[in-house]
Amino acid sequence: MFVKAQLKIQQMTFMLIAITLLFVIAGLFVLVFMFSGIKESANELNERNALLLVTRLANSPEFSCGESFGMLKLNCVDEDKAMILKQNSKIYSNFWGVAGIEIQKIYPENLAECTLGNYPNCGLITVYSDDKNKGASSSNFVSLCRKENFEGEVYDKCEIAKLLVFPRSEQ
Amino acid sequence: MKRAQEEMIGFVLIVIIVAVFILIFIGFMISRPEKQAVESFEAESFVQSILQFTTDCRDNLEFLSIDSLINKCQKKENCLDERYSCEVLEKNLNEIISKSWNLENSLVKGYSLIILSNKQPILTIQQGNSTSNSIGAVQSFVKSGVSTEVDFEVSY
Repeated sequence: MFVKAQLKIQQMTFMLIAITLLFVIAGLFVLVFMFSGIKESANELNERNALLLVTRLANSPEFSCGESFGMLKLNCVDEDKAMILKQNSKIYSNFWGVAGIEIQKIYPENLAECTLGNYPNCGLITVYSDDKNKGASSSNFVSLCRKENFEGEVYDKCEIAKLLVFPRSEQ
Repeated sequence: MKRAQEEMIGFVLIVIIVAVFILIFIGFMISRPEKQAVESFEAESFVQSILQFTTDCRDNLEFLSIDSLINKCQKKENCLDERYSCEVLEKNLNEIISKSWNLENSLVKGYSLIILSNKQPILTIQQGNSTSNSIGAVQSFVKSGVSTEVDFEVSY
């Protein structure tokens, strides 16, 4: 009787150990799987935040077209505003919390840096740049619009551009 | 008989516990479609931007944007300088997309753009290869009573 009871207790102990081990192994497996994705998730989150920052900037009052070119347009940057901001970049250096903002025309392509002398026959507007703290850039497509004159008539001209935002590098 | 029943209940319990763990693990595996959403956002912005692009095709009033040119193409009309609107549309879109999504020395393997007017395709642009790893955007709008849909897809 006593031996049988001992056997039962032994059986129960083995069973409990086996189930505990099963839980521990399964838990470890889940933890390893979760942690393996953490770095990837962090990168994705940074990427997403950067992209959202670009979109937020493009639609902020300082850059956006508003209703200057007909109806309210999304992802539309007013080229004249960008040029004025470029002239006052020192005032805005801490306003956006980034290390650089550039607008690069994609089509029609033009690599010349915009100045008051060559505007609008240029393709790169460096609104603000702090070369020392620049991180890797994030970009998004925007339409870059301005008022143009054709045979004495004013019309809206929109081109394809990329708004590049350089976050501050972590030092 | 009773002992056999107890053993069976134990076995069933273990099977249930293991099944629950497998289900949780499969749940983790399936719930990860975030990155695609971020990247599709870029395609959406691109489609929005191209629709606002001002072409060199004029009517009596103004230079036409791509969305107005799509309407003109759907009506098979010409620009003020007698060029056929659909040809101007195709030329502009071809150049914009090839400059924006470079197929050479990049991760982009191919792209396709389909414009549907009242559910009828009026323009298709396709370059490179289509792969299973792709991002895309669809933009719909109604202008002058014509419903237009622009489908854009980029393959990596």
